[in-house]
Amino acid sequence: MQLDFKHKPSGHCENGVVSNLLGFYGINISEAMVFGLGSGLFFAHMPFIKLHGMAVTSFRPLPGAIFSRVMSLLGIKMKRYKFRDKEKSMIALDKILLSGTPVGMLVGVYNLPYFPKEYRFHFNAHNICVIGKEGDVYTVSDPVVVDKCTLTYDELKTVRFAKGTYPPSGRMYHITDISHKREIDRETIRKSILLNCNRMTKIPIPMFGVNGIRFLARRMRRWERGMGKKRAALNLAQVIRMNEEIGTGGAGFRFIYAAFLQEAANTMNMPELRRFSEEMTSAGDMWRDFSYNAARMFKKRDGDTITYDILAAKLMKIADKEELIFKGLEKLMRDAG
Amino acid sequence: MKINDVPQDGNILEKSGEVRDVCYAVDENGEYKQVISVGWEPKNEAINYAWSLIEEESELIKRDVISGKLSPLAYHIHRSVMTPEILSSYTGFTKREIKRWCKPKHFMKLDNDKLGIIARVLKMDIEQLVSVE
Repeated sequence: MQLDFKHKPSGHCENGVVSNLLGFYGINISEAMVFGLGSGLFFAHMPFIKLHGMAVTSFRPLPGAIFSRVMSLLGIKMKRYKFRDKEKSMIALDKILLSGTPVGMLVGVYNLPYFPKEYRFHFNAHNICVIGKEGDVYTVSDPVVVDKCTLTYDELKTVRFAKGTYPPSGRMYHITDISHKREIDRETIRKSILLNCNRMTKIPIPMFGVNGIRFLARRMRRWERGMGKKRAALNLAQVIRMNEEIGTGGAGFRFIYAAFLQEAANTMNMPELRRFSEEMTSAGDMWRDFSYNAARMFKKRDGDTITYDILAAKLMKIADKEELIFKGLEKLMRDAG
Repeated sequence: MKINDVPQDGNILEKSGEVRDVCYAVDENGEYKQVISVGWEPKNEAINYAWSLIEEESELIKRDVISGKLSPLAYHIHRSVMTPEILSSYTGFTKREIKRWCKPKHFMKLDNDKLGIIARVLKMDIEQLVSVE
């Protein structure tokens, strides 16, 4: 059984699954618009949550947050599941799939066979969509893969119950009702941008938003002293991987958000937003410059002058830049309301 | 980022399968477009660096295994980017058991059933699990 599902690759797995799922129901919303409506741009540096023994740096809100928000904005009903029992989770999946419904789900990438070996670490917040089944082989639409791909029953079961930080526990979701669907209007977009401004500039805890970027910068200055060259570089490598990794990319998110602002400029008929889109593009370029220079740390030769202080200073500049963008956006959106 | 600047450094992605990066970049009119990329060198370097450190640490553990201080399990756990904690949740054994089996004395006493469960999670056969070759 194969659903008539159009697979489109995307920059970020969750947006991609949402955009593809909506497409199945004839609702065409671009990935960038999904990301923007989901207020998906974020930053968090959380020393108390560990991945591979190192502080987690994240460039997005909690997995599932974009999905829930976009669905509620559109007035689309969905259902979510979480399981303790592996077999039951597979039976539930088959039942919904065979009724003709594509099912989105959270998986871990550690055991995902079509991922390059180098990419397989204990990252448990990857989204895929199951769209067909022949015998015991499932057809899968994974937004980071060019074409549709397949997973056997056992492979799918394993990745749905991956272990480690934030285990997916068989989490899955699907759309149940689109009869009360609302159109995306000016007000919806305005509110989504405002929410993103709040997340980036107003959370009063120093680990999140632009303050989180500064927090990481301050900690980074102390890395080499505190844990030695190798561990410091490994921590940096983890930040770069989170910044650039498939489906989670931090710099990439800035570009997606810039694309969203561009689209919003048209939909809202607000040409000023194009200027913010350009600003956001340059913030993305600054993140890429940071990654590029950070990579010099990994094969540092004598005479290379890169230091953690220089990298931290770059982060501070990025924080200032993004704060300025979001403060400006906030004002523009408040005045437009 | 401009479309022409989208990196195409395929050292990791091009070698295995169809996983790609979808990048957003602006064309000559400043309009955003999607561009498929096969990777970017700074990211490849970060990934390779993390793996080279794992290899390096595994070699140190291997020496301890050969000199009888640790069991082959300790080596394989590290090499597979596992931790006793995560291996414990995959196998159903307790974290304490896994840690104890990292000592040669206790590892020697493991029966084939238990070895088989661990080997399956680490995707190897029992012969590989009990050696460091």
